[in-house]
Amino acid sequence: YHTAWAIGTQGQTGKLMYVMHNSEYPLSCFALFENGPCLVADANFDTLMVKLKGFFQNAKANKIESRGTRYQYCDFLVKLGTVTMGPSARGISVEVEYCPCVIANDCWNLLMEFMQSFMGSHTPGIPSVFGAKHDSVYSPGDTMVQYMELFNKIRKQQQVPVAGIR
Amino acid sequence: ASPFVLRARRSMDKTGMPWHLRYLGQPEIGDKNRHALVRNCVDIATSDNLTDFLVEMGFRMDHEFVAKGHVFRKGIMKIVVYKIFRILMPGNTESIEPLSLSYLVELNVVAPAGQDVVSDDMRNFAEQLKPLVHLEKIDPKRLM
Repeated sequence: YHTAWAIGTQGQTGKLMYVMHNSEYPLSCFALFENGPCLVADANFDTLMVKLKGFFQNAKANKIESRGTRYQYCDFLVKLGTVTMGPSARGISVEVEYCPCVIANDCWNLLMEFMQSFMGSHTPGIPSVFGAKHDSVYSPGDTMVQYMELFNKIRKQQQVPVAGIR
Repeated sequence: ASPFVLRARRSMDKTGMPWHLRYLGQPEIGDKNRHALVRNCVDIATSDNLTDFLVEMGFRMDHEFVAKGHVFRKGIMKIVVYKIFRILMPGNTESIEPLSLSYLVELNVVAPAGQDVVSDDMRNFAEQLKPLVHLEKIDPKRLM
């Protein structure tokens, strides 16, 4: 079982700030700006955001969440989640992690091979966060950036019209 | 309206430790009768990109300084004896000069909300430090 969720708020500078949580890191709170820094803070950050609410337009209605099951397969972690925005389901998220490796570029090929074994043609291309990082250490913030990008992509998608019942 | 103030702090001698972010609220009403200054406090540990992040949020730096000294503990009371150093070039902690030759002595406690009796314990402890140090309750409004 795992969850990852994000709430976007707009500050006085007009920039959108996302506050995210991930059940894999239950004591942490992630705050990030698109193309900007990702702050990793402890759970008290939410309390601070309450104090700051006068300065931010809280877009609580925009809360988007991925919730599902967490699988451990040898050295791999696979998390499948249903992405929901409010009451409606908007998509499915698949997170794959290769635990022993912390240098992103060193294990991308292995990850891709593993994903192809069960995702076939749905296997994604190399994530953008890897591009900037090259040989530096991967961190949980990078995971949250990927979730933010995924959530934004899902948010922008048109909602699939419900089929009529005959 | 008074500006929203956040304090960011990091250790200079221990690398790799998280930064510390603190919000301090206004002194509480009924504060005049208490022996110590009481304020609402939110403490957050953060990663080391805190200053970049605060700027991105719309905050700007008001002042920075280096504090060097010693920390003592007595139960939940913390006594810090330190010298304040002015930073000559912004962001450069290597070139600093002392603000004054004296040390500042600060007695503070972080306690759960509502435990006002703590201020009595603080006053009792402060009495023991006399006449070496004369601790006084400060009025933050006078300093702003």
